Amino acid sequence: MKNKLSWLSIPFTIWMAIFVVVPILIMAVYSVTSADGLVTGENFVGMGDYAVVFVRSFWLAILATLVCLLIGYPVAYMMAKEGQGFQRVAMALIMLPMWMNFLLRTYSWMSILENNGLLNQLFRSIGLISLYNSVTGSNIEYFQLLRTPGAVVLGMVYNYLPFMILPIYSVILKLDNSLLEAAQDLGANSVNVFRKVILPLSLPGVLSGVTMVFVPSVSTFAISRLLGGGTQMMLGDLIENQFLGGAYNPHLGAAISMVMMVIVVVCMVVMNHFGEGEEQAVML
Amino acid sequence: MKKNGRLGGRLLIGLCFLFLYLPIFLLIIFSFNAGNSSAVWQGFSLKWYGDLLENRLIMEAVATTLLVSLLATAISTVAGTFAAIGLYSLGRRRREVLLTVNNIPMMNADIVTGVSMCLFFVAFFGLWGGFAEWFNAQQSFLELPTRLTMGMGTLLLAHIAFDIPYVILNVGPRLRQMDKNLVDAAMDLGCTWMQAFWKVILPEIKPGIVSGALIAFTMSVDDFVISYFTAGSSTQTLAMAIYGMTKKRVTPVVNAVSTILFLVVLAVLVINNVREARLERQRELIAAGQPVRQSPIVEKVSQTLSSPKGKYIRWGGAFAATAVFLVTVISLTAFTSSQPVVNVCSWGEYIDTDLIDQFEEETGIRVNYQTTDSNETLYSLLKSGGADYDVVVPSDYMISQLLEEDMLEELDYDNIPNFDLIDDRFKYLPYDPENKYTVPYTWGTVGIIYNSTMVDEEIDSWSCLYDDKYAGKVLLIGNSRDAFGIALKYLGYSMNTTDENEIREAYELVADANRRGVFQGKVMDEVFQTMEGGNAAIATYYAGDYLTMLENNEDLAFAWPKEGTNWFVDAMCVLKDAPHKEEAEAWINFIASTDANLANMDFIWYASPNKEALEMYPEWYEEQYDEPLDEEIYNIIAAPQEVLDRCEMYVCLPPETRALYNELWVQLGI
Repeated sequence: MKNKLSWLSIPFTIWMAIFVVVPILIMAVYSVTSADGLVTGENFVGMGDYAVVFVRSFWLAILATLVCLLIGYPVAYMMAKEGQGFQRVAMALIMLPMWMNFLLRTYSWMSILENNGLLNQLFRSIGLISLYNSVTGSNIEYFQLLRTPGAVVLGMVYNYLPFMILPIYSVILKLDNSLLEAAQDLGANSVNVFRKVILPLSLPGVLSGVTMVFVPSVSTFAISRLLGGGTQMMLGDLIENQFLGGAYNPHLGAAISMVMMVIVVVCMVVMNHFGEGEEQAVML
Repeated sequence: MKKNGRLGGRLLIGLCFLFLYLPIFLLIIFSFNAGNSSAVWQGFSLKWYGDLLENRLIMEAVATTLLVSLLATAISTVAGTFAAIGLYSLGRRRREVLLTVNNIPMMNADIVTGVSMCLFFVAFFGLWGGFAEWFNAQQSFLELPTRLTMGMGTLLLAHIAFDIPYVILNVGPRLRQMDKNLVDAAMDLGCTWMQAFWKVILPEIKPGIVSGALIAFTMSVDDFVISYFTAGSSTQTLAMAIYGMTKKRVTPVVNAVSTILFLVVLAVLVINNVREARLERQRELIAAGQPVRQSPIVEKVSQTLSSPKGKYIRWGGAFAATAVFLVTVISLTAFTSSQPVVNVCSWGEYIDTDLIDQFEEETGIRVNYQTTDSNETLYSLLKSGGADYDVVVPSDYMISQLLEEDMLEELDYDNIPNFDLIDDRFKYLPYDPENKYTVPYTWGTVGIIYNSTMVDEEIDSWSCLYDDKYAGKVLLIGNSRDAFGIALKYLGYSMNTTDENEIREAYELVADANRRGVFQGKVMDEVFQTMEGGNAAIATYYAGDYLTMLENNEDLAFAWPKEGTNWFVDAMCVLKDAPHKEEAEAWINFIASTDANLANMDFIWYASPNKEALEMYPEWYEEQYDEPLDEEIYNIIAAPQEVLDRCEMYVCLPPETRALYNELWVQLGI
């Protein structure tokens, strides 16, 4: 179903061809050549060694996306139910922290999570740590929060949560109230209204949010290094290491990122397919 | 019931805000810290705000950041919105394909996007150069510039390129919700496409546009990797400057500037909200049929604007704003190009910035000062052709690597008379045996920093790094060369060995300790806050940086292990075919002077290679601060010769060995 504004996509397509496709092609060429400029497949051969890193990255990114969705959806929903003034302020306030520098924010989180950090001090003063010690019979002075996979997930959730909230919020805002009323009038309880009407109709926003959280999470690098303590290497670190590490092997880096990209694209296509199908089913 | 739900909702939103703002509050609090730590509170002070005003590098970076981010946001929001409308008017299959391509910049690791953009621009500049030469030879009316360089323009293009996908992803869902027939109906009824856009589409998708713009701005402000590779040598954003500081430490000046920006944005929000609320009340009044009170001026203005004549005024205003903006941008570039310039790339927090002003005043040469975070980043930047710096300040082993690849220019030492002031110990070093390319900048040593309240023995050996006694309390230095180099030294081998078995043995030592849980983590500059806050017992880092930590935590102690350690020299070099070689030599000469060395030594707390400055420093310190310099501290900064005799300097390893290091390092992280 084409309509009269489809020509607007033409300039964008040209732009993408230049600034997205050409650089990707350059990288693709890199991934199949060696430092001497010869065509080779060896960059892909050793990829199996990094399977652990691939699995870890995707696993942590999925976890972070789920947490974001679980927190972000209700927040977006509640926000959309508030008054206009509240909404305007809330929307800006959700984005504002992200305008402070990323490294500064992450350092802040580090001092919150450190062994003698704010959280552990809080736990100590409310007696949580001694309670834990008496229950389990252990003898710890602090909980190891920083430099764990959990801290990495927290960092990703912190950084990308707004990206989940905003698109969901802007979709829920647009929901037709008469649909909800109709469902209620037809006898649906509030759980069913949510499950059968609100949730399917807000799916486009959820899909956008999931994309914007999941996709950058997979390739994130500094978060895992700083909050994960560098012992939980992720794809972003692995790739960065090829470009900015001592060995300087952009060919291998390009190959890893090509493989990563293919996997992400497959994930996205599957998800979008599923999403669009769902939406149409509801519309019918 | 309903009331309860609302309360619950507010509580949830409140918690979410607490989560979002907790680190921000901490960051703001530490901008008022009297000390330079971001972990230890030393009392209230406005010191960093004062420093900020004098810090030209950061102020310029803020201006660049705002300019680039705002422009990129504005352009990508408009472009992205129209693109989204176009995409959602297409059939589903084509749309899905295009949307997938749209997501690529988002899913690519930043470094890959950055490097590929850089290669792309370099390739384009090459083609352009050929074209311009041909074109100039054909005719004589128009002289095209043949040599394009990266700068604000390429930076902006890159930012727009990675912002657009986010805008599309935000506008998209709203478009999907919209009935497509509305647009067709409007246009069938005689609307132009512009009218259809303003009257039908825009009101429907406005929230999506707003959130898209917000996210685009966020991405722009935060990005540093892509910016590094597309900004060229004379443009630096705040995020780049901050990341460049991570070779040493991020100064609280950055907290101060962030706090100010935060408060300004907050103020704008409040004002905007009050204004909107007032407008809303007026709308309600209108709806209620009550006369609206408006100040006569506002009424007049709004009348003129909405009258037919107002159209010209609106267009005129927009045109004037654009013109002013363009003139500013152009004059900014023109200003930098009409003056003699030198492009310097160094490490963050590695110079007393007063020196830059002083040099500019004395010579009239403008200094474009950029920073990166490591030798390897610098190398990668140079390799991709992303930057045409004149002066760089790499470390010893990187200098030999650059020399091996013929990337450095011979210096004309007649232009650098201050080279004579350099101590003979720091001339003719292995990385530059004939001393034709380099002038030393600083030198220093690596040692063990430990918390004396957590360690009850005398530390004099690297063995403590691998000791179960300190399980979970040791910080491993976060780069392969240092981590394995130290292990090699402990095992009694050379830090520069190329023997695979020795290196593997060193790896086993580190990996085994890692398996036993001795290491809390790998750290680079985070070592400052972790050690200052008393969160780890033992770390390895640079002697000069130990002194910074000592200021914030008196329990910290320092030791050079008996097995010996690494000592380094960072030296200034000029890159091959540097466009401003004479200016570069003037800069090098200036920095090599005794005064500059004293100022730098005092600022960085790394030792000076200038003989006079090194000897004079305690005296100079007493004059400056009215208190004598502790001899022990002086000895830690400037390691005595008997310590240096035990130390080894890194040399450039052959590619196979570097690859082995990298492979083992990755294995350690898996």
